[in-house]
Amino acid sequence: MDQLLQALVSGLLLGGFYAVMVLGFSVIWGVMGVINLAHGEFLMIGAYMAWGLFRLLGLDPFASLLIILPLMFLIGYLLQIVLLNRILERPHLMALLVTFGVSIALANLFKIVFTSDPRNVPVAYNGSWELAGITFPIVKTIIFFVALLIMLGLQLFLQRSRLGKSIRAASQNKNAARIVGVDINRTYAITAGICIAITAGAGAMISPTQAIFPFMGAPFTLKAFTITALGGLGRIPGALLGGMVLGITEIFVSIYVPGIGTNLGVAISLILLVLILVLRPQGILRGLRPIDAEAAL
Amino acid sequence: MSTNRDRNETWRKSGETLRATALGSWRGLIFWLLLVGLLALYPYSGVSSLTLFIGSQIFVLVTLASNWNLIGGMTGYVDFGHAVFFGIGAYVMGIAVTRSPLLISPEWSFWQALPLSGVAAAMFALLIGLPTLRLKGPYFSIAMLGTFVATREVVRVLRPLTGGGVGLNLPPVLNRLGDYYLMLGIMGLVVTMMWWIRRSEFGQSLIAIREDEIGAEMRGINTTLHKIIAFMIAAFFSGLVGGFWAWQNTFIDPDVVFIEARTVEMVMMSMLGGLGTVWGPPLGAVVIYLLQDLVWRNLFGAHLLALGVLLVLLVIFLPEGILGSFGKRSNIARHFTASIAQLLGRLGRGERT
Repeated sequence: MDQLLQALVSGLLLGGFYAVMVLGFSVIWGVMGVINLAHGEFLMIGAYMAWGLFRLLGLDPFASLLIILPLMFLIGYLLQIVLLNRILERPHLMALLVTFGVSIALANLFKIVFTSDPRNVPVAYNGSWELAGITFPIVKTIIFFVALLIMLGLQLFLQRSRLGKSIRAASQNKNAARIVGVDINRTYAITAGICIAITAGAGAMISPTQAIFPFMGAPFTLKAFTITALGGLGRIPGALLGGMVLGITEIFVSIYVPGIGTNLGVAISLILLVLILVLRPQGILRGLRPIDAEAAL
Repeated sequence: MSTNRDRNETWRKSGETLRATALGSWRGLIFWLLLVGLLALYPYSGVSSLTLFIGSQIFVLVTLASNWNLIGGMTGYVDFGHAVFFGIGAYVMGIAVTRSPLLISPEWSFWQALPLSGVAAAMFALLIGLPTLRLKGPYFSIAMLGTFVATREVVRVLRPLTGGGVGLNLPPVLNRLGDYYLMLGIMGLVVTMMWWIRRSEFGQSLIAIREDEIGAEMRGINTTLHKIIAFMIAAFFSGLVGGFWAWQNTFIDPDVVFIEARTVEMVMMSMLGGLGTVWGPPLGAVVIYLLQDLVWRNLFGAHLLALGVLLVLLVIFLPEGILGSFGKRSNIARHFTASIAQLLGRLGRGERT
């Protein structure tokens, strides 16, 4: 019973992180129809930035979010202006190939600059709390609550602010939004900036709990895809639900199926993904667009 | 809707330019067979074993690129994990020649193991393709990327069979001339087959699937069967090449066999040459190999960085590849000369008045 409860709590904490990790991927896909295969690499960049700030200035990873978020917003904005806006009108395959190229280039750039030695961020509070027989790892608990905060903020921004409304308008009908005076290119650039900032922020937050190396990104891209398929495109509650499902599944499998390390988490999310896409191609919450309209290559 | 039309427009254009270039027909095949014949005579001019080794490596790349093009270019199912078949082939070869595959039998010889590596890859393609080929567009690409990453992890974990992260050492047999001719044969066969497929009804059905899958199904094409067969052919030869590569390299571990670079290279070479064309991928493979060898080798190990950047540039500036842009270039040239003539004419009129 205790083990079950513990697994549930660990799964929920992991799921909270997955939910904030997936936001950027899901919103970019939902708004622009671009599947960002370089998603995990931006997460990797965030983790490296947190590591660098920790090493150089002794900055706490959560405090360094204040530097990382604006910086990565700028990078995302520029990426969209320079690269992605040029190919949005082209067949989908092209966007896929471009982001694939970006992901390969970024991972290898970091490999050249920082070598592939794993780095870590040893924060002082890397212990755990004990509450009613259940352990709460401190860092993961903080991540969970910061993740909820970020999601709440994004939700409010999209629902209430003028800019958020124009982003939603652009995702619903690009031409109509253009007619009523939304500057599509600028809106897309801001969307990409926000998404990439959040992704890098997620990377910075997990830096205390995971080894940081240039090729850490690919599994995250895959997991982001799975969660999006579970929860739907650009939907924050969907991201939360999908993240929880994947997190709990991973933890349960690693605890209850003998002989499988957490290394096989990728394999699990792949199996989950193929199952969802084959059995319920519209997503659990009917969040995916009908595949034939979406998949125009 | 509009993207759909754009897509058809792009593909149709590339098809037209292909027909326009003489390389699309029998002349191309004759040229190709002549080239293969010349390459077969090449070792008689007394070249070093290093040249033969480089030759066989280029043939490996050409074969892989052509295979990827069959599923990614002709059928339009962009496979981001095709290197998984290469890896399966390599591991089947490694396991067959170092361990006893059937418990009672001794280790297999190279010639017994080579077909097995192809067949194993094709079987794996059947297994993977049945669920994943139902997915459309980006969903398929991601599922294959996932298959690739997951397979690498599984190979790493299955230590008793695959040697895990330590890898397998194959018996070293140095026969550069034999390697050269074997790979030349496989490459010649594969590219000729691509030429034949492109002309056959089977190939036309694949192209119909790429253009409009539902429409193809309405016309009575068994799309699932066609896709699976194309996938299995591509996987079979990739596995064969993987087995050969493992034998030549004499060492395999998950990180040298299941490396993203191999998929990226296949995509790049097809893109550079021209997606869905017969002669594009071989051309792209040679160009990329030469670029790698001449330029990037001296560039502090930035090989993959350069590949990634090149892929981005290629998509933005040359989306139809070298062969695809051939016809367009000449159009631009014609347009250019026409406007120059117009300008001169206007100037001439200006002088007269």
